[in-house]
Amino acid sequence: MTTTQEVLPAETSTPVSSGPERRRRSVNALPYGLLVPATAALALALGYPLVRQVVLSFQDFGLAQQFGKPPEWVGLQNYRELVTDSYLWKVVLRSVLFCLANAALTACLGLAVALLMMRMSKVVRIAVQAGLLLAWAMPVVASMTVWTFLFDTQYGIVNWLLTHLGLDFDGHAWLLHPMSFFGVATVIVVWMSVPFVAFTMYAALTQVPEELVEAAEIDGATGGQRFRHVVLPTIRPVLYVVLLLQIIWDLRVFTQIFNLQKAGGVTEQTNLLGTFIYRQGVGGGHFGLASAAAMFMLALAVVMTAPYVRLMLKQEKEA
Amino acid sequence: MANRVSPAGRLGANLAGIAIFLVCAFPVYWMVNNSFLPRNKIRNPDPTWVPFGGTLANYRRVLTGGRIWDALSMSLMVTLATVLISLVFAFLAAVAVTRFRFRGRISFILALLVIQMIPVEGLFISQYKMLEGFGLLNTVVGLTIVYVANVLPFTIWTLRGFVAGVPYELEEAAMIDGCSRMQAFFRVTFPLLAPGLVATGVFGFLQAWNEFTLAVVVMTRESKQTLPVWLSVFTDSQKGVDWGAVLAASTIIAVPVIVFFLIVQGRMVSGLTSGAVKG
Amino acid sequence: MRMKKTLAVAAVGAMLALSACGSSDGSSNDKSADSGSKTADIRVWLNGADTPDDARAWLKKTFEEQNPGSTLTIEQQEWDGLVEKLTTALSSDKETPDVVEVGNTQAPTFTTAGAFSDLTDNLSDLGGDDLLKGFVDGATIDGKTFAVPYYAGSTYVFYRKDLFKKAGISAVPITTDEFVDDAIKLKKANPTPKNFSGFWLPGQDWRDGAAFLWNTGGDFAVKDGDSWKGALSSPASQEGLATVQKIFKQASGAPADATEADPVTPFCAGEIGMMVRPGWVKGMLEDAKTGCPDIAKNLGVFPVPGADGQPAPVLLGGSDLGISAKSQHQGLAEKALALMLSEDYQSILAHHGLTPAKNSLSSKLGSDEYAQATIAAASNAKLTPAAANWALIEGDRTLEDLFSQIAQGGDLASLADKADSHIAEVLNK
Repeated sequence: MTTTQEVLPAETSTPVSSGPERRRRSVNALPYGLLVPATAALALALGYPLVRQVVLSFQDFGLAQQFGKPPEWVGLQNYRELVTDSYLWKVVLRSVLFCLANAALTACLGLAVALLMMRMSKVVRIAVQAGLLLAWAMPVVASMTVWTFLFDTQYGIVNWLLTHLGLDFDGHAWLLHPMSFFGVATVIVVWMSVPFVAFTMYAALTQVPEELVEAAEIDGATGGQRFRHVVLPTIRPVLYVVLLLQIIWDLRVFTQIFNLQKAGGVTEQTNLLGTFIYRQGVGGGHFGLASAAAMFMLALAVVMTAPYVRLMLKQEKEA
Repeated sequence: MANRVSPAGRLGANLAGIAIFLVCAFPVYWMVNNSFLPRNKIRNPDPTWVPFGGTLANYRRVLTGGRIWDALSMSLMVTLATVLISLVFAFLAAVAVTRFRFRGRISFILALLVIQMIPVEGLFISQYKMLEGFGLLNTVVGLTIVYVANVLPFTIWTLRGFVAGVPYELEEAAMIDGCSRMQAFFRVTFPLLAPGLVATGVFGFLQAWNEFTLAVVVMTRESKQTLPVWLSVFTDSQKGVDWGAVLAASTIIAVPVIVFFLIVQGRMVSGLTSGAVKG
Repeated sequence: MRMKKTLAVAAVGAMLALSACGSSDGSSNDKSADSGSKTADIRVWLNGADTPDDARAWLKKTFEEQNPGSTLTIEQQEWDGLVEKLTTALSSDKETPDVVEVGNTQAPTFTTAGAFSDLTDNLSDLGGDDLLKGFVDGATIDGKTFAVPYYAGSTYVFYRKDLFKKAGISAVPITTDEFVDDAIKLKKANPTPKNFSGFWLPGQDWRDGAAFLWNTGGDFAVKDGDSWKGALSSPASQEGLATVQKIFKQASGAPADATEADPVTPFCAGEIGMMVRPGWVKGMLEDAKTGCPDIAKNLGVFPVPGADGQPAPVLLGGSDLGISAKSQHQGLAEKALALMLSEDYQSILAHHGLTPAKNSLSSKLGSDEYAQATIAAASNAKLTPAAANWALIEGDRTLEDLFSQIAQGGDLASLADKADSHIAEVLNK
């Protein structure tokens, strides 16, 4: 292998050059080579399904087609049916609000936990880390079972506790009203997502240069000022990434909603995009329409995250 | 930062910490607690807080029949294969996008992001058809291929930050000592990435270990089912949901994950510490 | 350079694999005409633990004796995720099971989509008119039958004799009106616990509420010429739903958002006077580990009373059997199916309390009070509308939503209107 390949470490922007011709060729080959396994794996596992999804979204594809009847091309009809259905827009609005609320809440709580972890004594910090890990490691099936137990109308611990605190929560149905339903869903989703955020933010906080904080302190900056002007700028990139990932994940939320609907929500009033697509496709046998809805949801995710992505790309180019 | 906290501030933080611990751990405790209770104590107007005089019957019921061992070995194989393959592939890709500037680099990063946005609820039927075409239904290989693709984008993304955190100068020094470019990656950068690999590996581990939707349609033969699929045996028997068995089985499923976490915990926390800032 | 070469090989491998995918996709040659004279392994999908072990053993042994060289493998699937599994597996040439069990209300979805083989010619051999009629009708389209009944499970009323006495009710109710009155009486006689149910009807439980809708001549949907029409707004349905709402309001203490999945906990907490449940619940209530033998010793049963003093039409749950159209071994699959409908096999099912697929075998259920109630209930049992898309209505949970909203005291006419137009839209798609 040649040792004269030119590479740019991410930290510096000055190429260590020796002979422009040769450099260009080798630089071109190696990075692409390194991307081959990942790209091949992605293409292998997602290529066909994605292409098929796009194709289906232009077809009238139901169960009969699934079992061998030739599908019919319908052009944009699935999309037209979708966007003219007022129910879809309700679901979209609901999904967007739920996603933003959950992403924001998760990020804030995660950051708060991380900040607290910086201030705790070691023993408590280890306990908190263990607790976060337990919550993170619990299988989703198990946590959904337990959470529906906790919020059970008749025998749930939540109602039991509130009733024993003297409040009138005996037989309170948490999942019956959509707002309350989404409140419970938020608790569960946030509970599941905070560990990742807290760990990541904690990692970022430990990297805030000590000297800078001290200097600010000497200059008479209050705690709030130190946080805003010293800590926040350092952790901002991580915060962006975490928020971005949360938005992506919370828009796709499915399991939690699906299970809570089974446990007691009014389905029609609580569908989010994930369950909507599922009920159109597998539940409803309208694979064409479900594919169109999935494409629509992808576009929505792209639009929602575009500002962040632009910000990050800017960082990427400056790096 | 940590050493300049006032006593009052520390006390407050510690109290908050205990509250956080309780909120995080209570559902886990509730799972374990209830897994030791007989059915008529699990859902009961008077909650049982500690399983004194509990029963092992739930565990006995779950462990008999031997299907759990098949499921456990399937899950372990699929999960470990997913984690290992995705880490190697992601490492190579992360090196490419952090250490090199090349045409298509930004597009690649963007593509990874967009892939994570694809809703999966509609994809699994197509993935079934694809695996059928490969002749890979009911195989570890088939399921692993799809899982690797599921976790790769996130893994590459996160690993990028870790690779950038390893000083380029170290690689240069190795190359001056006569290592080739690739040798420098593998002998110098790779070991330094261990914490980062662990931290990102955990994500892949959890994904593969817990996945249900695809596994349930792809692994239809009894001996090929993964743990989450096996768990569904107890959620819909003719006699209603067998809560005790579900919780006992869940506890059993969670144990390997928690053990894995405990083993890697130190490394993971330090791993996240050293690399995550680059995002 | 070695590294690059390996990568190149990997890339080529991936491309080959991709092209393999492309080519195999279109090659779904139809081998379903195979008469199946050769030997094979027949894969039978049974769901959950419903089929008892001795029936499974008998089936395997008998099939393999009668078809030397062939084997039969029972692969247990779960109801959870079954529609997904059938949707994918039944479309696969290589991985399709040969014989599958499917919920009787799920069956029309697959029969109309062409997933099952036509069984019309075998019907008389399999039992003909002796087979549970509603099940056969539900699996028949345009005169062709694609699935046959496997077993049924009907429900009846469990009641507590001690509470009847306490409330001064001397005899079990004979008509629906008496039944509802007794339920309200029970509730009044038991002010504690607060959520006591004279008749336990959780909000999402449309399956057990259906009896009251049908009882007055109402229905979920009716066929109107070539198309389906939601029927919940009809005067007869409204009358039935009014009874349901009355029960929710005055007789039931179950939460408006709850399901019927766990009757044991409320029963053992002393919160239930009467409930409509399948027979197996009795065993759970009487078991000291799962239930409460102390309370359960007061149990009695009777069929849900109808308006006319006869048993009310209750929703008949159960399963169908079909042969995958993609199965390569149609002949052997038919033989396996025939064995599963044979008197010997069905008697084993009946012995375990499952209503047999053939009317003539119902005596195998036994003769005690419970068997009598089962037979009586089955005599007037009814099925959900036999529309191809009915499973979609169950899939999007229209009826759970409707009943839950009725339980919350919603306006019957407007709820029914809304549900009707949705049902019509879905069933006529």
